Amino acid sequence: MTTIDAPARALPSRHHLADLQRRFPLLQVAALAVLYLAGAATVPGWTSRSTLSSMLVMASLLGLAGAGQTIVVLGGGIDFSVGAFITAGGVFITELPSVDGWTTWAAIALAVAVAIAGGALNGVVSYRFGVESLVVTLAVGSLLAGVLTGWTGGAVTGTPPAWTSTAVSVISDTFGLPVPPVVVIWLLFAVAAGIVLARTRSGRSVYLTGSNPVAARRALVRTGRTWTAGFVVSALMATLVGVLLAGNGGGNLTAGDPYLFQALTAVIVGGTMFGGRGDYWRTVLGALILTVVTYLLDAHNYSTGVQEMVYGLLIMIVVAAYGRERRVRDRV
Amino acid sequence: MSRFLRSRPYAFALVLFAVLLIANIAAQPSFASPSNWAETLAIFAPFAIAALASTPAIMSGGGGIDISIGPLMTVINMVIVANLLPHGLGSPWVVVPACLAIGAAVGAVNGTLVTVLRFQPVVATLCMNFILTGLATQLQGSTTPQGSTWWTNDLSSSFGHIPGGLISIAVVLAAWYALSRTAYTRNLYATGGDDATAFSAGVDVTRVRILAYTIGGLFAGVGGLALMAVLKEGEAGNATMYTLVALAAVALGGTTFTGKRGSLVGTLCGAACMYLITNLLGAANVPDTWTDAIYGCLLLGAVIISAGLASATAVRTS
Repeated sequence: MTTIDAPARALPSRHHLADLQRRFPLLQVAALAVLYLAGAATVPGWTSRSTLSSMLVMASLLGLAGAGQTIVVLGGGIDFSVGAFITAGGVFITELPSVDGWTTWAAIALAVAVAIAGGALNGVVSYRFGVESLVVTLAVGSLLAGVLTGWTGGAVTGTPPAWTSTAVSVISDTFGLPVPPVVVIWLLFAVAAGIVLARTRSGRSVYLTGSNPVAARRALVRTGRTWTAGFVVSALMATLVGVLLAGNGGGNLTAGDPYLFQALTAVIVGGTMFGGRGDYWRTVLGALILTVVTYLLDAHNYSTGVQEMVYGLLIMIVVAAYGRERRVRDRV
Repeated sequence: MSRFLRSRPYAFALVLFAVLLIANIAAQPSFASPSNWAETLAIFAPFAIAALASTPAIMSGGGGIDISIGPLMTVINMVIVANLLPHGLGSPWVVVPACLAIGAAVGAVNGTLVTVLRFQPVVATLCMNFILTGLATQLQGSTTPQGSTWWTNDLSSSFGHIPGGLISIAVVLAAWYALSRTAYTRNLYATGGDDATAFSAGVDVTRVRILAYTIGGLFAGVGGLALMAVLKEGEAGNATMYTLVALAAVALGGTTFTGKRGSLVGTLCGAACMYLITNLLGAANVPDTWTDAIYGCLLLGAVIISAGLASATAVRTS
């Protein structure tokens, strides 16, 4: 932390810097650079193509899994069913074509239909009944994961289609470009999501709904529709990640579990906060930071327990820096 | 009838509990036999206490929620099995205070994060959830530590004729009853109803909320002990399951997640309903693989019912 804090103290106007941080994720860029350099200095083979490529694959999957979560969080909610939808995508693409003789497209169509239905259920129930989205998505996630477990009888036996492993394989390339296809998908998606969120009417509706739902409704924003759409996008993106992950050993019943928390951490560490502050580029940055941190901890032989604690502390630092609520005495 | 339900949010869970109890006894006559009570209550206790421990934070309003209760109970369970027992520190005079201290300390940190540092409750307790899950994994190491001692064995069966599970639940309820004799519970309801108004009326909102999380943590300390007594081993993996069950029990018990209404008795009824439904499905030979799906359905149904009962009286402000 000292390396990040030092420039802020050295420069005369901290308020100016704080304001800049609000508009541009300075702290995160600096942290990413420092962490990457720390890796390059201490881990042998850190800058090799294969390490870099596998880091990018992990960051892409994380970033895609966190895409819908970013929109949901911007709208003021939280989606805890991401893990279940990732698992669903992986299980459908692994099990249906190879065991039950479905065509790949039919399996994908079912996965998409489940995502739309589940995402809509998340959005509609939490909006209509005014229940914390955390609780509703936890329920829907558990329901979906449970149905998958019950349906497969507790074990997935199929093999995923070959193209899924090509998509996420570290050594594959995309039309001659020396990066795996999933990275290209992520880049294209990030550009599109950035433009949609910042420049379109739907994007602005998300920010308005998140920052003040009542005011947004008065301004004729269809808040219910915006809210629900966020959850549907989240479920769809998670399903996509699940399908891609199937080629990476992801066709099992717990494939999505680690991604739920990692993707949420990426969103928050990137600096997107509940209720209309942030954008997708911050999540991209968050995913990269988290990937570098994970690789760094792995290389230094820290256990998954330590990794989890570090995720918790990272969120705490970022939220403490600038994601806080108003005081009660200021709300009277 | 609906008026009766609205004025007593826990009545729905109470009626459901009675129906389920009869159904359980009808399906499994042995369920009612006193010789099984001790075991049933011992298994029920950690579920119930996890739900009870989650309630004060939710009642404190402002989106208050504590999703670190499950991992906290797991950590406490792990500390006893992996750290205290192997070092000969199995005396209740050491273990019980240690559990309560860990629970209260973690709860107080959560409360401080939420109030003083003004974190969103979900984010604060999510961080704590990560840290505690990581800690449990770290403490567990590569093996599954096991252990028990005479009084924890009694806690999972019975002390003389009194079932151990009943004692752990009763301790929590007694603590809450004692609190309800003070001004604290009134202040908690006031804060949960509208924090700005409570603040204007002179309630120390910050202190009330920190205490709510601390009390939740303290209860989780008892819950961790009850969990350890039943499991007799430390397994970091089952931390998250309790979060889901606890929240479902809270919702079913008539506590709304906006903090305007709630009671611990309701939560206890809700937890009992959850347990009885699971038990009934077991008696009906529904395979274990469907457990998650059933819990998900129950939680979803519970929040819809709870919100439906609440909206009948609530003035729609927006």
